[in-house]
Amino acid sequence: MLDYLRLEVRRTLRDAGFVIGGIGMPVLMYLLFTNLGADDGGWKTGSMIGMAGYGAVGCALNTGGGVAEDRAIGWLRQLRVTPMTPRQVVVGRTLTGSVTVLPAIVVVLAAGGLVNGVRMAAWQWATVALLLWLGSVPFTLLGLGNGYRLTGQTTGVTNMACNLGLAVLGGLWFPVTLFPDWLRTLSAYTPTYRFAQLGTGVAEGHAPALGAILVLTLWLLAFGSYAVLSYRRSGRTV
Amino acid sequence: MTQGTGKQTAGTTAGAQTAAAQTDPAVRFTAAVKSFGAVRAVDGIDLDIAPGETVALLGRNGAGKSTTISLLLGLNEPDEGTVRLFGAPPELSVRAGRVGAMLQEARAVPRVTVRELVAFVAGRYPAPLPVSEALRLAGITELAGRRVDRLSGGQTQRVRFAVALAGNPSLIVLDEPTAALDVEARQAFWASMRVFARRGHTVLFSTHHLEEADAYADRILVIDRGRIVADGTGEQLKRSVGGGLVAFDLAGRDTTGLDLLPGVRSLEVRGDRARLRTDDPDATVIALAGLGAIRGLEVAPASLDDAFLALTSTSASTSTSPSTSTSSSTSSVTEVA
Repeated sequence: MLDYLRLEVRRTLRDAGFVIGGIGMPVLMYLLFTNLGADDGGWKTGSMIGMAGYGAVGCALNTGGGVAEDRAIGWLRQLRVTPMTPRQVVVGRTLTGSVTVLPAIVVVLAAGGLVNGVRMAAWQWATVALLLWLGSVPFTLLGLGNGYRLTGQTTGVTNMACNLGLAVLGGLWFPVTLFPDWLRTLSAYTPTYRFAQLGTGVAEGHAPALGAILVLTLWLLAFGSYAVLSYRRSGRTV
Repeated sequence: MTQGTGKQTAGTTAGAQTAAAQTDPAVRFTAAVKSFGAVRAVDGIDLDIAPGETVALLGRNGAGKSTTISLLLGLNEPDEGTVRLFGAPPELSVRAGRVGAMLQEARAVPRVTVRELVAFVAGRYPAPLPVSEALRLAGITELAGRRVDRLSGGQTQRVRFAVALAGNPSLIVLDEPTAALDVEARQAFWASMRVFARRGHTVLFSTHHLEEADAYADRILVIDRGRIVADGTGEQLKRSVGGGLVAFDLAGRDTTGLDLLPGVRSLEVRGDRARLRTDDPDATVIALAGLGAIRGLEVAPASLDDAFLALTSTSASTSTSPSTSTSSSTSSVTEVA
């Protein structure tokens, strides 16, 4: 299982598209968005968490793209004729997702601290990173659900749509305070808004909001079921 | 069918039969059926493969080869009947690391090196080959550090072979392993396969190249419309269709009546040359000699192509070969030869 994780993480990190789109883009956008226009210390922290979250969501969803690719080229089928069990393959893939979100989180947080001068206590940095990491699991599951259900190309497009839609709607790119009321109401139900809320709460010095944990848990269950259903459906054709 | 197998090959199969009596067969299909919608892709296959045999599964595209292999590997479940590998359901034998496979539609795994890929697969098996050995057997030692998705078609194919044998499985299954290979790559591939087979592994490969089946398998299973229509060595298959081809120069002679000569099944004229397909070349030649029609006389045994055509469906209706007229699931070659 660890071997499988290592192999898949390696394959993901060798994907130039992943490195540029999943890690480079969020950092670049973060530095751009926070250094153009008015200088506002709060936005540098808020956007840092938003963009780290955006990067994490992108990387988590990318795991599903990898699955779709593996199905298309017959690699999952090949694994089925090795002694690996289907469960090991799925768990290995999920773990791969949770490992590959880390670079994006770490790099954006580093850019915040080193370039934008965001200051937080050591425990806050650690907790923010940890919460963003754990909070990305629902998105990995959403990506897997897409990857097991759709073809490679459709998965790519769907993941992209999910990524951008959820990022914008959840206020990862622009603060929700800029949204009209109705959109802000909608935003409160998105997994991305609640995901970022885990981090912003800690950055402001208090525990993550209970509402954030609750809503995100519901999304975790929803996306988890989606992933399981998709996997079962693909089991017959993989 | 098992009986037929025992009778027909005194050499290889008889030895293997003894082994089979002591242990479970490597592969056993019992009345296996698999349908996709209205199509019965596998239509009642009974089959035993003894440990150590090298068997070719020969058939046209769409004859049921790939479905048979899917059933064998546990990728599909039969609708009826059973499939066993080493006495256990395929899934369990696969899980126990007794099986390695080279699947037909698989493409190169992106962004891994050859060594990483082979080492990873080897690591899944309880008693794998050393990675360097697997690479050597597949003839890709010098490609170890290259990325799999940057290799040529022939190289990729050999990587997939290395993946199949990396775990040192007792049974290796190769689904059309040489499709899309050029002649040289094909020969290199079969040389590797032979080395592996000689170590006592059971090898099952599918192909639609008759020469390959004839040259590299101990035993050929001809599959058509989801059924095994013949089972024997290449030699036996050729004999089962009987006779051969007698050709001679007409030298202006009239062809009337040639198709009525003893043994003659069909007549074909190409330019000035007559080609007689015959069940009894000796009788045909004697009759031709009587007619004085022996200029440029040539007698050739039936080719495997002839056998294959006679055994599979298109020509089944016109063929007089007894093996195809048998309506039961499998006709043993010996019974007809």
